[in-house]
Amino acid sequence: MRDAAPDMPLRRRLRQGRDRLATALITAGGIGVIAAVMAIGVFLAVEVLPLFWGGGPGGPEVDLETLWLPQSYPGLEAPAHRWQPTLPDSDPGPRFGMAPLAWGTLEAAAWSLLIAVPLALGAAAHSALFMSRRLRTRLKPTLELMEALPGVVIGFVAGLVLAPWLERQLALAATLVLLLPPGLLLAGGLRGALPGGLRRRLPLGWAALWLLPWVGLVAVLAAWLAPSLEAAWFGGDLRGWIETTLGLDYAGRNAVIVGMAMGFAVMPSIYALAEDALSGVPASLAEGAQALGATRWQTLWRVVLPAASPGVLSAVMIGAGRAVGETMIVLMASGNTALMTANPLDGLRSLAASIAIELPEAAPGGLHYRLLLLAALLLFVFTFLVNTLAEVVRSRLRRRYRRLGGAP
Amino acid sequence: MSRWWRGRGRLPRGEGPWAWLAAGSVALSVLLLVLLLGLLAVRGLGHFWPADVDRVTLSDGRVLAGRAVKEAPLPGDAGRERLYRTDNRDLDGALWDWVPVDAIERVDHPDDLVVLERRRWGAFVGRLVAWLPEEGERLEGEAAWSALRARLARLERQREAIDRLREQTLLPLVRRLEHDAAGSTAALEAVRARLRALRAEMAGDRLLLESVDGRRLIQPVEAVLRAARPNAMGVGGKLVAWAEGVWRFLSEGPRAANTAGGVWPAIFGTILLVMLMSLLVTPFGVLAAVYLNEVAHQGRLTRLVRIGVRNLAGVPSIVYGVFGLGVFVYGLGGRLDAWFFEDALPSPTFGTGGLLWASLTLALLTLPVVIVATEEGLARIPDRQREGALALGATRLEMLTRVVLPMATPAMLTGVILAVARAAGEVAPLMLVGVAKLAPQVPVDGDFPFLHLERKFMHLGYHIFDAAFHGGDVQAAMPLIYATALLLVLVILVLNLTAIFLRHHLRSRHGTLSQH
Amino acid sequence: MMAAMRRGWLIGLMLLLVAPGAAPALADHGVGTLDTVGSDTMAGLMLRWGERLGREHPGLRVQLQASGSASAPPALTAGTTLVGPMSRPMTEAERAAFVARYGYPPRDIVVARDALVVVAHRHNPLSALSRAELDAIFSESRRCGAPRGIRRWQALALARPSGRIALHGRNAVSGTHGLFRREALCGGSFRPEVNEHPGSAAVVAAVADDPRALGYAGLNHLTPGVKALALRDAEGRLRRPEPAAVRRGAYPLARDLHLYVNRPPDGDLPAAERAFLSLVLSAEGQAIVEELGFVSLPAEALAAQRRRLGLPSAGD
Repeated sequence: MRDAAPDMPLRRRLRQGRDRLATALITAGGIGVIAAVMAIGVFLAVEVLPLFWGGGPGGPEVDLETLWLPQSYPGLEAPAHRWQPTLPDSDPGPRFGMAPLAWGTLEAAAWSLLIAVPLALGAAAHSALFMSRRLRTRLKPTLELMEALPGVVIGFVAGLVLAPWLERQLALAATLVLLLPPGLLLAGGLRGALPGGLRRRLPLGWAALWLLPWVGLVAVLAAWLAPSLEAAWFGGDLRGWIETTLGLDYAGRNAVIVGMAMGFAVMPSIYALAEDALSGVPASLAEGAQALGATRWQTLWRVVLPAASPGVLSAVMIGAGRAVGETMIVLMASGNTALMTANPLDGLRSLAASIAIELPEAAPGGLHYRLLLLAALLLFVFTFLVNTLAEVVRSRLRRRYRRLGGAP
Repeated sequence: MSRWWRGRGRLPRGEGPWAWLAAGSVALSVLLLVLLLGLLAVRGLGHFWPADVDRVTLSDGRVLAGRAVKEAPLPGDAGRERLYRTDNRDLDGALWDWVPVDAIERVDHPDDLVVLERRRWGAFVGRLVAWLPEEGERLEGEAAWSALRARLARLERQREAIDRLREQTLLPLVRRLEHDAAGSTAALEAVRARLRALRAEMAGDRLLLESVDGRRLIQPVEAVLRAARPNAMGVGGKLVAWAEGVWRFLSEGPRAANTAGGVWPAIFGTILLVMLMSLLVTPFGVLAAVYLNEVAHQGRLTRLVRIGVRNLAGVPSIVYGVFGLGVFVYGLGGRLDAWFFEDALPSPTFGTGGLLWASLTLALLTLPVVIVATEEGLARIPDRQREGALALGATRLEMLTRVVLPMATPAMLTGVILAVARAAGEVAPLMLVGVAKLAPQVPVDGDFPFLHLERKFMHLGYHIFDAAFHGGDVQAAMPLIYATALLLVLVILVLNLTAIFLRHHLRSRHGTLSQH
Repeated sequence: MMAAMRRGWLIGLMLLLVAPGAAPALADHGVGTLDTVGSDTMAGLMLRWGERLGREHPGLRVQLQASGSASAPPALTAGTTLVGPMSRPMTEAERAAFVARYGYPPRDIVVARDALVVVAHRHNPLSALSRAELDAIFSESRRCGAPRGIRRWQALALARPSGRIALHGRNAVSGTHGLFRREALCGGSFRPEVNEHPGSAAVVAAVADDPRALGYAGLNHLTPGVKALALRDAEGRLRRPEPAAVRRGAYPLARDLHLYVNRPPDGDLPAAERAFLSLVLSAEGQAIVEELGFVSLPAEALAAQRRRLGLPSAGD
């Protein structure tokens, strides 16, 4: 008003022009960045397509059949899956059966989920419903920090420390796995039998802490029992017993070790998401159930878990996505044997590990190179789909909570 | 039915067996985490502790000196055997010795055992018999030890002088030559002559050494890096030696084919890579987030794009590595080389993996993290703040830069730190786009243009993988791998804790904000 | 020169701080980078030579990417490196690809000798294997003439250990893998059960941890945790992997370690490569070879190669 000078419209026009320019730049930049990120899928697809269209780029042809079905190779009695891409062209010729790689990837993921899911869901249930609030604010970030442990460190410990140890102490490990669940139940039972004063000192809400020494005690007990159990049941040689009686061969680096290491790696992400889902269930539901006389565990099992099940499911799916793509752990702990066996004590080789060790040596544009890119595309598509599914499920869950929470 | 109810009513304390298994799984997870970190800490930090050296006398009269590493059972219940690290590879041909525990007659710790770290053949363990200087008289016993200590201190200074001469005189000279090819070659020769003279000064003195089983050896002092008598050290002396060891690990480059020495280039490479990555990812991530949240029409397409971006965070890192190799290295890099560096071909400049491509790949990998975190921050800002700004006559740009972005800064920061924490631990994609086993020259130096984006670099995570699988002797490299792993985990923990702290801070700030 | 101008443009345009490659004049003063891509077996050697070179020529740098010999020829051909260490000779196909691109073959310099050893756990009673047995154990094609495959220790007529033989080896890109396949398996194919480790050290470590394991690795990776098996030749004589036998050529699984260099046959070596090769082919370079557990070359072979490369004769 004071300086209603003629330059006012000019300044305003300048401001608006600048604004429009900035908006355009943001739009262009934003779309550009998003397009760049999305370009990954497009790049992989474009590089892989020549494999199936217009014949392979030189060298032996591949098609879906040679990639995924058993082939008969010279020198072998029966048709088999073989991933031996670097055999020389002339004799005996490279072999590109990708089925063992895909199988190994899924096997490793399955074992890691088998180990991670019970641990993660148990931990999530405990910390969402039973744990004291004070402990939870400390413990939850700690467990989430586990997620940040680099795969290369976990892989190193699994491959060079855990695998040789397990090879020597198979009986101890088996005893430990057998003893832990009853040991924990015993802890619960003993606590129940304690006099009231002492029992109040050991509340369920802090069980995560005071069970630590107990678990250590169980481990010591297992170490003490293991040799005699091995002698009594397995003639003093569990590994030999597995090989002769069960007919399973034991490889030093096997699917179970990969599963343990990767289970440890994916457990925190499943835990964090499942815990969020469980503790996000509107309190009114749980309170209602408990008011009707249900114990907290019944509340969890009958009320909270069904309500949160989509969230828990999506947590497991995201864990599966991580397990499928994890590279370093499988590379370092698996032995990289491209086998198709159901024996969990045999080695395996995953798509991701194959890419990591073979791609730098594959000639760009060649058949081997494109097949590894196909492996990358498979990983991409698989994880993208799994994550999208998980995301859809989760957004449905959020809507459900809003509805439940909004009800009077 | 009724009994069931009564039963429950009488036992309000019982949560059933499952509750205990659930509690146990938390305890087990915590225990595993503590075990893992404890293992890394104990083994990693223990490596630098100058433990006592055992002199082991066996029942067959053989004597050896070394440190016990581990034990294993002998086949057929024949007792146990123990692995000693005996060093003296130039005498024995091996670093290790397996000894049946039953055959050990006596273990003692004589004070005069010396451990020499040498430039070649690894360490020496044994006795120092005599000091054989180039000129002057031969010394024995304590006098030889003090002469050696004094000479090593002087050697250290001479090595530093050589390094200084190299860094401060020789390399600048070489750089000046870049602009004036005919110029100061005479000066260059002078520096080289001085370097040669310094080297000659270091040579000459020798040691007469004897292993515990009596074999003798003449050792030039020049190749000795450090000497210690761990059995004669008190706890205080060992603590000092331990701290020095840790410091050398952090500040020196690797030696002896990555099985000894420090990890400084790897630390530097990791940090530089992560810094470059955050420089790249922050503006682009924020730009995309602002576009998605503030500019784009909030329709079905935007929602789909948002879900897509979110899901890219779950795509395996190796896939990003493949993309980086195919598009950046082979595609862009090859193109750049053909256009701008054709006089250097066939030697590639950008057509091979390097710092630039690695940081771009990691930036792409972490872009979704930054976008999601920033978007969350933007969505948390109440619309009335934006409306207020607009109502006061601000344009959208002014609203964004003056109101929205400052309020979203902590969220962006959290996103970037989370991205950094994720990137610092990634190794698989780097194996495809430019990590090197050994690149002793860090990618930043005094050479124009100071930051060499085309160079390969070392990385802590890859160093672990490399030493564990490619090195000469895994057993010898183990302690160093533990130490490197511990360092990497610490770096990542610190970054994550910062992110958690920031997130906490942000939540409490916005918690109060929305109550107004 | 066009390139140099364009480079100026690039710097101006992108404001990306990009280093120009070392100019030729500087290379004569021992300044430059030596990029090497290739064998993992030779990584230790390359590192030690690199360290040594850095002390002699402060301005020279050696960069190393060591994932396996098979990575050297593509990198040489694509031009991503000038020096490719390989633990096996180039195959015809690899050489042909190189010649097709450059019109001349890469220079082949033998820098050391090495041998593949079959290793077993230190307490394994086994002491020697024939080639047919080796093939029957490691391959599924059995081209060396074994009547049936050997999967279990019992088939070797040993009381101990029992159970399946755990097999360890290198991954397919390594020269060690290729050489063992060609020489010990008569060109056949490995069993898929052979563990593929990313490095020889990992093979030896795995065998040292498992009494039921057999593996193959480079001679220089031997540790007291494992024992090297002798090979029984057709007449039943034992061939032990000892340095003298390897140097003589009496041990069957011996091999040369090569450096391939991308330079036209008449062209001079650039200064960086020249300094490096002259170190490698000197007494000092060969001492490093011995120190790392490989077998050094006889003096005549060194002198002949130095002459061929136009390097001053040894003794400087």
